[in-house]
Amino acid sequence: MDRELLIEIGVEELPAAWLPGLTRQLGERLAARLKEYRLAPRAPIETYSTPRRLTVRLAKIAERQEDLEELVTGPPVSAAFNAAGEPTPAAVGFAKKQGVAVEDLGRASSSRGEYLTYLKRQRGRSALDTLPGVLGGVLRDLSFPKQMRWDATLDDGRGEFVFGRPIRWLLFLYGGRVVPFTVTRPPYAAGPLVQEVHSGALTYGHRFLATSGRAGRSIKVRSFDEYQARLKEHFVVLEHAERRDRIARDLEGHARRLGGRVALKEHQALIDEVADLVEFPGVVAGFFDPAFLGLPAEVLATTLVHHQHYFPVVSERGTLKEAFLAVVNTQPKDERPIARNAERVVTARLRDARFFWESDRRTPLESRLDRLHTLLFHKALGSYRDKAQRLETLAAWVASDAFGVPDAAGHAATAGRLAKADLTTDMVFEFPELQGTMGGIYAREEGRPEEVWKAIYHHYLPVAVEADAPPSSAALGPAAVTWGAVSLADKLDTVVGLLHAGERATGSRDPFGLRRQMHGIVRILMDLPELTGLDRELTIDSLASHAVQAFGATGEVAATVRGFALERVRYALEGRGFATELVRAVTATPDVSPLRARRVARALQGLRASEDFQALAVLFKRVKNIARELPEPADLDRDALTEPAERALLDALDARRPAVARAAAGADYTRALTEIAALRPVVDCFFTEVFVMADDARVRTARLTLMASLRDLILDLADISEIVPHTE
Amino acid sequence: MVTLQQLIFKLSEFWTSRGCLLQQPLDIEMGAGTMHPETFLRVLGPDHWSVAYVQPSRRPADGRFGENPNRLFKHHQFQVILKPAPDEVQQLYLQSLEACGIDLRAHDVRFEEDNWESPTLGAWGIGWQVLFDGQEITQFTYFQQAGGVDLSPISVELTYGLERFAMALQDVDNVFELEWGAGVKYRDVRHRDEVEQSRYAFGQIEMPAAELHALHRNLFDLYYGLAGTLLRSGLVLPALDYCLKCSHMFNLLDSSGGIGVTERMAYILRVRGLAVAIAKAWVGESRPPASAEAEA
Repeated sequence: MDRELLIEIGVEELPAAWLPGLTRQLGERLAARLKEYRLAPRAPIETYSTPRRLTVRLAKIAERQEDLEELVTGPPVSAAFNAAGEPTPAAVGFAKKQGVAVEDLGRASSSRGEYLTYLKRQRGRSALDTLPGVLGGVLRDLSFPKQMRWDATLDDGRGEFVFGRPIRWLLFLYGGRVVPFTVTRPPYAAGPLVQEVHSGALTYGHRFLATSGRAGRSIKVRSFDEYQARLKEHFVVLEHAERRDRIARDLEGHARRLGGRVALKEHQALIDEVADLVEFPGVVAGFFDPAFLGLPAEVLATTLVHHQHYFPVVSERGTLKEAFLAVVNTQPKDERPIARNAERVVTARLRDARFFWESDRRTPLESRLDRLHTLLFHKALGSYRDKAQRLETLAAWVASDAFGVPDAAGHAATAGRLAKADLTTDMVFEFPELQGTMGGIYAREEGRPEEVWKAIYHHYLPVAVEADAPPSSAALGPAAVTWGAVSLADKLDTVVGLLHAGERATGSRDPFGLRRQMHGIVRILMDLPELTGLDRELTIDSLASHAVQAFGATGEVAATVRGFALERVRYALEGRGFATELVRAVTATPDVSPLRARRVARALQGLRASEDFQALAVLFKRVKNIARELPEPADLDRDALTEPAERALLDALDARRPAVARAAAGADYTRALTEIAALRPVVDCFFTEVFVMADDARVRTARLTLMASLRDLILDLADISEIVPHTE
Repeated sequence: MVTLQQLIFKLSEFWTSRGCLLQQPLDIEMGAGTMHPETFLRVLGPDHWSVAYVQPSRRPADGRFGENPNRLFKHHQFQVILKPAPDEVQQLYLQSLEACGIDLRAHDVRFEEDNWESPTLGAWGIGWQVLFDGQEITQFTYFQQAGGVDLSPISVELTYGLERFAMALQDVDNVFELEWGAGVKYRDVRHRDEVEQSRYAFGQIEMPAAELHALHRNLFDLYYGLAGTLLRSGLVLPALDYCLKCSHMFNLLDSSGGIGVTERMAYILRVRGLAVAIAKAWVGESRPPASAEAEA
């Protein structure tokens, strides 16, 4: 009979940021270990977590392991029996090893001949006997961003048992019965205060809350339903979604009573995070001196949101009110004692912020530049003062040359020069997440034009490749072009400089955030018209090869940048939903323009289903292969082409080429690709009628050159051979 | 009303009743109670040990001339070391809060991830800041390494920030308004010290900045050399004293603006080199640091 499996790993508070990943891992690792142990789940694996527990439940799981059948191969039949048909010592030995008589052995043929075999059957053990091994494996498998030693060992021969936080209890039930399992403790720590953790039928409720008696006593359970119900009675909401929804509801209710609202959408990530900091969420309202509302909204929000995990309350018009909401791990009868303490912390932090706000503004950004000398950017690339100097020049070049907006170069240069100055302010020292933002605000306070201060304010953005990753063009306003120049210059300088200095992003290791920087570059270039109003299909290569000059770098670096950029453009396009083969088709050339790639991909997506296009894609593979036979590029020897089919192709190419070029120049890639698709009949006919590799060298060269020019025409847009439909 | 001194009594009483030895502050300047030999050295090696003590902690850069209601040149830590860390340590800790008069049901006490690291001590641990209604009142750390040495068994360190804890208990917004003893304010006891120490820490003295920096550097070098000599003489505890002196000189250089960014790292590495050598000597792998020998 199938029975329920319930495991709860009771831990000391796990970091909220780990819970989503750990919960997912728990399900995956359990599934993998069950498979390894041949215990078939007969229901979906359900996982749950709170800061103090990781829980997994399987409503039904097999009672026994599946039996194991293994075919063991013995000696070849030719060597197993003598001329008289009697078994040789080889056959007898094999049978003996398997514990059976020679007559019980089977035979199987392989390419090398016939062999003696034995079908070994192993009866599956009971789930109860097997599950300890499963849990032991799962506990070893879970991986943590940071693990700790806590004087624990497991009885699996692998010694010390590290984990994310100490395990304090294990609820481990199969069909209501306790599955035995023990976390052991090494002799140098074990004693009356440091004891083994034995699995049991016990769980624990909220640390402080209980309907009767002392909180934190053990609770005995036999099934998941009982477990969940008893936890609820003991002030633990097991499901993340339920905690999150409660918090959202409570926040809204509290904000309404205060005559305002909470920007729930904007704070989605914070709600998810606080939901993993508590087991029994409640909300408490606190207030601060309205005089602090004179601080920039960004500073107020950072203090509340990033430092305290509190939610700002805004008026209906969207301005901050002198109130905040704190999510707490209780629903107190009286909110005030908690609120008083929360207010004390907020007030202390805001008082610091106000001090920084006032003192920082006494030193203008321009006169902070010299202090950047003391801040190291990278040991091979100098200080932030050096970087500021490079940014000033590069941002101006991007604006005037790459963007073609010389009028913006002056503002871009100023913003580039000042972009890093806020690293020397007390505010950024105290609130590092405000870098850039603070520089922008201080520049605004100094009366710098919008083109300059907004460029500084947003220059760390974007940090992601999605089409809606901030900033928006609305937020940028008239600063869009200068922002684009400074943001690109900053990221180019970092990527090119660090690659030049030998830093790389490999696997999960990317200590300098190179990928993130490159994502910023890709996103700006890919959405340049939407972000800045400029319609330029810039290649990363053209920008990078200018940026390398500041480092006196070689072509080798440029090649590294190209490869890295290509990989990130592909990532971005796939992230936007383009199929892998489409992405490969539009990123066939290394000097890729993200914007052009995006547009061609869109066009291809619309056309790829058409019959002409599909057929042409197949033919194109042949075109590419055969064009490779051309020893060296040559001028097309038109007179050598005399067959009607090759004349037809030549004429069609001559006729279509200008139209393709015109359409591509106008970024109308659907049109350009349609023109190309129209070549299909003549290409088809060419391959049927014409033998390219003619004996006559002149004719052969002319035909190969014709193929090469067809290839180049198409490849300039996309390598459409990538989108050949798979026949199998 | 729990005065600051009552708070110290209550914590001392609670932890001694749970088997801790009551130690005294080390009579040398330091930035945190972790640097006290009762923590830094006792967590090394196999011997079980439980101890509690108050440690005045000096952080020159945090000095605010007695004008900031929350920041101090010198604050007080109540330090508890339990080795090995008992299974019940979180409950014990929460009971200690109750012993100080906190009703856990009426407040929001949480353990939020905050791993601790001291680059100068080559020490780090895993743990939490304990938030009392959003206010950090304790750092709770399972030590993993000290002086670059892997620890076993694992010790737990509880560091109560006495001023902050008392402010929450007494419901005051300004540290100088705390009641130290009945009728005596924190201001009466400590304010002048804060003003004068801050002036010194930020170099507001009758000596040009360059000269003061040179003096501190010189002192650092002298203490550093002495620590190396003591270590070579097999005297671990005196060596630690002068390692702490170095650390304090470094903090003063830092607060008075006498150190550049790259140089900063070099100083940290020198102190760390000493701390690592001291830790190794304590556990018996006695070997003076090559650098200390060379520079001494």
